[in-house]
Amino acid sequence: MMLRRMDSMMVSFEMTETLLAVALTLAAFVCLFDRHLLRATLCFIGFALLLTLAWWRLATPWLALAELLLGAIVSGASLLFALGVLPTGAALKPRHDRFPVPLSHGVTRLALSVLWLVLMAAGVRHALPAMALSPSEEPLLIAAGVWVACALGAFALHRHLLRRLLAFNVLGSGVFVLLAGMAGPMLAAQLLILVGLCIAALGTLLGALLIRRLYHLEGLEALDPDIDKTVAQ
Amino acid sequence: MNWRWGWEAATFAPEPGESWALLAALVLPLMLGGLAALRPPRRAWVVLLAALPLLASGAALFQAVQGVALLTWSVSFDDVTLALRLNGVAALLVVVTQLIGVVAALYTAGLCRLDESAGRSRWLWPLWGVLLSSLSVIWLAADLLSLYLGLELMGLTAVGMLLLSGKAEALLAGLRYLLVALVGSLLYLLGVALILAHWGSLELAQLTEVVAPEPVAWLAAALLGAGLATKAALFPLHAWLTPVHASAWTPVSALHAALVVKASLYLLLMLWSLLIPESHVAPLLLGLLGALAIVWGSLAAWRADSLKTLVAASTVAQLGYLMLAFPLLLGPEMAPEVQTLAWQGFWLQLLGHALAKAAMFMAAGNLILATGESTLAGLAGTSRRLPLSLLVFGIASVTLMGLPPSAGFTAKWQLLQAMLLADLWWAIAALLLGTLLSAAYVFRLFRYSFIESAPRKTYRPLAPGMEGGALLLALAALLLGLWAHYPLSLLQGASA
Repeated sequence: MMLRRMDSMMVSFEMTETLLAVALTLAAFVCLFDRHLLRATLCFIGFALLLTLAWWRLATPWLALAELLLGAIVSGASLLFALGVLPTGAALKPRHDRFPVPLSHGVTRLALSVLWLVLMAAGVRHALPAMALSPSEEPLLIAAGVWVACALGAFALHRHLLRRLLAFNVLGSGVFVLLAGMAGPMLAAQLLILVGLCIAALGTLLGALLIRRLYHLEGLEALDPDIDKTVAQ
Repeated sequence: MNWRWGWEAATFAPEPGESWALLAALVLPLMLGGLAALRPPRRAWVVLLAALPLLASGAALFQAVQGVALLTWSVSFDDVTLALRLNGVAALLVVVTQLIGVVAALYTAGLCRLDESAGRSRWLWPLWGVLLSSLSVIWLAADLLSLYLGLELMGLTAVGMLLLSGKAEALLAGLRYLLVALVGSLLYLLGVALILAHWGSLELAQLTEVVAPEPVAWLAAALLGAGLATKAALFPLHAWLTPVHASAWTPVSALHAALVVKASLYLLLMLWSLLIPESHVAPLLLGLLGALAIVWGSLAAWRADSLKTLVAASTVAQLGYLMLAFPLLLGPEMAPEVQTLAWQGFWLQLLGHALAKAAMFMAAGNLILATGESTLAGLAGTSRRLPLSLLVFGIASVTLMGLPPSAGFTAKWQLLQAMLLADLWWAIAALLLGTLLSAAYVFRLFRYSFIESAPRKTYRPLAPGMEGGALLLALAALLLGLWAHYPLSLLQGASA
């Protein structure tokens, strides 16, 4: 059984596709780098809704439905629950992530994630010359690469656990789109992505429950795992 | 190396009874877990009665594999094939998983009876069911999709279980682990995506025929390895284990240390022997990390103040022995006799440690529950009042230290022979040092427990299932070493 090419989707840059990719990238960017937690979460939900459209455009309606249900609704609601916006429980205050990021910490972590990413990209391009969808013809794939890069940087950089959870979700979405691009319209690839979506939603739910419990027990300081390091400095 | 995993076509088709046993082994834990969540059992006989069909399904599978050595099931639709295979290794692992799972359930029932306030324990039961089912899927699956599903479900339920009773510092450690493990699962997924994109299949049987040493295989092996290492809490990434175990419920700790950490290691060995059977660097790196893990984990256990931290840190060290087997099993032109010895040692160590560590966690939980003390010093003078729990701890330690006639001894003996044949002197040094250190940390408990002048305290009575089950597991670890030729003949697989 060899790799099957995608025939119907081999269209060069289309206006709507490009617009969708740009909008998704913008939403991902705000979600990852806005310190206002509620705004970032809302942007994530917008990102998930746009991604639903993108899966639809990639001719995978089941994944679009799964992204809508699991990504936008379950993960979105979990994140809002962790923020305390939903009627149950006290709100997470302050709404801004005010944990400082020391410059050296930021630079090393960013450098490490960029290095990892370059290695990864070079490895994939070298090892896998023929991808099912060509990145030069599919703006969504380029966009997915950008999300993975930004999300990896954000995951390494941020210290607020909720923001790391957001970064994980964006990273996951990027990986899923890349997977679809590498493997094409095989059912096996779609099932892998479906399982991945379920796991990401469950993981986000579990993470949100833990964040709530931690906040309930210890207050806001508990949400910064490196707090003792900052005190020591 | 790959013939040992049982991916080749089976000679015989499974009979209907065997297929039903397989279905029962996979689905019954879920149903039992759901039932127990609705009506949490309090008595040992209820748990035993409910678990009988589950144990029977395991026994039936075990029986089936003795006759034919390999059975395969598969379902295909379009380009997806879900495949399960049952060989000697998988049958042993399934039976041990069910045994430990049922004993953990017995323990949980006893715990709920003693401690009425454990309100959230209701949540434990469905998680227990999902954990047992997903572990069985991992042991049996022969395609990357089912393995991914099993691995992720197991990881999430394990974190959920460990953190059910958590204190703040354990929750923080667990949450950080959860985030890292989720990112690790994406790495794993990328590795699987590379395999699928390049070779167009997820079925291990097909992949063995097409995989060649080329850059894709190395890249995929690196991604899968990185993802699994974060999940298995392998040596440099183990820091979260001890704080989480210190406050988790005893049966959960037992299940986690015995089975969950092993599953990722099992997958790592299986996928690396598929992708990079001839590679030199990666297994050597893992082996070196294993040597460090043995020394570091043993020292941490030696210095621990609390009993649970001691037991949890010893898990890090014992996983190190399994990592030491990697450079013996994989490598360019590895001699067959070295591979055979290392293969036997790997599985005996894995099974023996699973049984012994579960027993040890339960014995430690009993001591802590009965005395109300969690530090080693607080357990002074327990030898008179809790002889059975101490006995269980002792028998389990025999396996951990690797004294004859336990499974730990046989495993280390096989590994040592393989290392001598392969001239891996640093590995021999690590193994011997680890054995000495494990004796040192295990005897710390006995030094305290036999202090006669300790003030008398009131001890809480324990439920019968809590001590009996632990004793059963500890004895099983001992017997596995005594009758090692029996599991070893099963491990050799179809071609032996």
